[in-house]
Amino acid sequence: MTLLALEHVGKRYVDGPHGRPLLNDVSLELTPGEVAAVWGLRRSGRSTLLRVAAGIERPDTGVVRFDGRDLIDHGEDVLGEGIGYVQKALRGAEAQSVLEEVMVCLLARGISRAAAHARACTALERTGSAQCAALAPRQLDKAESVRVALARALVLSPRVLIVDEPVNGVDLHERDGILLLLRSVADEGVAVLASTGQSTGLAGADRALALSDGELRGSLSPELAPVLALRRSA
Amino acid sequence: MGAARGAGRARDSQVTSMQSSVNWALLGLVIERPSYAYELAQRFDRAYEGALSLSSTSHVYTALGTLTSRGLVEEVAGSRTGRQPKPRYRATAKGLEDYREWLVGQLAEDRRRQRLFVLQLAALTRDPEAALATLDRYEKACLQEAGETPLNGANDVQADEVSGLAARLLCEESRLAIGAKLEWTQYARAQLKSLASARAQGR
Repeated sequence: MTLLALEHVGKRYVDGPHGRPLLNDVSLELTPGEVAAVWGLRRSGRSTLLRVAAGIERPDTGVVRFDGRDLIDHGEDVLGEGIGYVQKALRGAEAQSVLEEVMVCLLARGISRAAAHARACTALERTGSAQCAALAPRQLDKAESVRVALARALVLSPRVLIVDEPVNGVDLHERDGILLLLRSVADEGVAVLASTGQSTGLAGADRALALSDGELRGSLSPELAPVLALRRSA
Repeated sequence: MGAARGAGRARDSQVTSMQSSVNWALLGLVIERPSYAYELAQRFDRAYEGALSLSSTSHVYTALGTLTSRGLVEEVAGSRTGRQPKPRYRATAKGLEDYREWLVGQLAEDRRRQRLFVLQLAALTRDPEAALATLDRYEKACLQEAGETPLNGANDVQADEVSGLAARLLCEESRLAIGAKLEWTQYARAQLKSLASARAQGR
């Protein structure tokens, strides 16, 4: 079952007189429980691809569908509970603690303070960042800030998690812990789409993809299970 | 100085003359821990599963004979005892030194293999479109391998500390090597595209 689908998506970068094609007829399907990782060199358009997939940026051409619905019409309804988007840097208000930072999106949705507190604590625990709860976002190291950012997205129980550069700048010893965390999120039935500028970030993905010259390469739709011929008894 | 260089060359040629990967792998196992032949066969199967294989258990006896005659391993004194003597083998100082040298020499072997691949791909450049299609397939194979590389910590049940470390090092080496190949495909594609474009304009 396809949860998120990009269909013939095109996007041009609008600096300069003619613009530069960032995404050129890109199609991609994501199903629940899988991790798809997109690798590309600098300025290859991988962050744009993720923003378009999350419904944050509109494609110039083509369609992005979440659960069959066109994100151009429903993008704002879907972001959060449907699609969790984690950007490169964790940007938090200076005065807030990490716990408050994770709670805030729940409070904004009218959830009571007590329930938001409990859910935020669970999300921080889930991402291995419970020990950061009382810290300010600026006190976190890179790996901690990625884990907190993931908690902030996961607290809304999204069905698709889109993560921009989860291992960029993360200490080598912490890197695989974060990739394993994404794997475990997918194992709970969430479709995960991540980008990486380092090819080492592709390890453990169900589908490793490459983006260059606006083209996405690799297996663009989930592999079908092999069809086994039924052996008839004589 | 000249004599020393000559001796170095003589040793180099002796090192390179042992071509069998199985022999070098067995030497590595003996360096890790002295063992008797049957135990070595079992350790070999565990350590090199999917990478190297023995034709039979007796392959180990032949290999140990070669390693002993080259002075790379030796019997542990006093280990040939009992009604069914099972001599244990350990590495000599020369064995350890040659093994280290051989390991470093593998870098050149990797380069040789990659060079061969590139030269063979270059044979397709008469038709740049065909070369690009081949490159696409190569990149897809690299991507599949990149995804299939396990994460450190995903399957942490290792028999011992050494095999755990070996698994982690292998994992990282594979990831970096595939990454280099992926970056190379980007460069090769750009080169082939400009070749195709230049040829199209020349027509």
